[in-house]
Amino acid sequence: MVYKRRKYHYGDTHLKKKWRTKRRTKDLDQIDEDLQPQNADKLLNQAPDLDKPGGAQFYCIHCARYFVNDQALQDHFRTKVHKRRLKALELEPYTIEESERAAGQGNFHLPQKRKIETQPPKETIADSEEEEISPKKAKTK
Amino acid sequence: MRIETCYFCSSRIYPGHGIQFVRNDCKIFKFCRSKCHAAFKKKKNPRKVKWTKAYRKTVGKELAIDPSFEFEKRRNIPVKYNRTTWNKAVEAMKKVETIKQKRQNTYIMQRLRKGREVENERDIKEVQRDISLIRSPAAGLKQRRAAEAMEEDEKDITSIQKGLSLSKTNKKHKVQDTGEMDESDEEMEGIIEDGGEVTL
Repeated sequence: MVYKRRKYHYGDTHLKKKWRTKRRTKDLDQIDEDLQPQNADKLLNQAPDLDKPGGAQFYCIHCARYFVNDQALQDHFRTKVHKRRLKALELEPYTIEESERAAGQGNFHLPQKRKIETQPPKETIADSEEEEISPKKAKTK
Repeated sequence: MRIETCYFCSSRIYPGHGIQFVRNDCKIFKFCRSKCHAAFKKKKNPRKVKWTKAYRKTVGKELAIDPSFEFEKRRNIPVKYNRTTWNKAVEAMKKVETIKQKRQNTYIMQRLRKGREVENERDIKEVQRDISLIRSPAAGLKQRRAAEAMEEDEKDITSIQKGLSLSKTNKKHKVQDTGEMDESDEEMEGIIEDGGEVTL
């Protein structure tokens, strides 16, 4: 009896596509720059952009990802992917300068550890809710 | 023309070798070979990949902090050619290189020596713990017991001899008089001892 040939090997094309520079996601040192307060403010309070998921209103800085709504963002904070990323960002990221120091141009110091926490919940949402509530209250009054 | 350093493994990149990647924030990443480039594309962390310089220095396998590393630097300032300074610079570079090599080698040797000490300590501990595998604790037990028994006997004898000192001295004097009868003397003593034990 002849069975159907089953294809077991599925290659690495799907991985290679992921690694292409065309779809390159942000590196850890770029995210480290984003974490600086002035950059973080800009990223968290973006102008509505309809090309991005959720109009670019729900952004996770550490994972450099846009989410559709606040619920999705909050769920994301509880995932393993996000926690892993926080852990990876604890050490100072590797940079070009560090590669030169490792090659013998200057002293090579060990990367410092720091504390990283998930971004605080958005204030704008709370503000908007208050605004929504306040006219009602005004009406009742 | 310049000998660049690889972003991933920190090795030298000679002109005409390797590949470079310009990220969309204008940073230039240079790679010595496709191995390093592929690792970068996979977002590997050079500090955790064992064959890179960054790993060896973070883990403390190679000398990381030393004043000899302060000489080699990227100086983006043009210097007008001067024959004497050129010659001096080349000589200084050679000297610095030899000193650096020596320091790095001593660092590695010291590191290995420490490992050797630890190894020795561990070996000694293991032998002490498992000595029973080499030499059974029961080996020579019979002989030891016999020796102990002998010692006890001797103690008894001494105590008896003290008790019978008077009689012994008398008999010894007699033997000394006869002169050549040494063996008989010992036999006599044995007899006395036996007699003593019996009396006890």
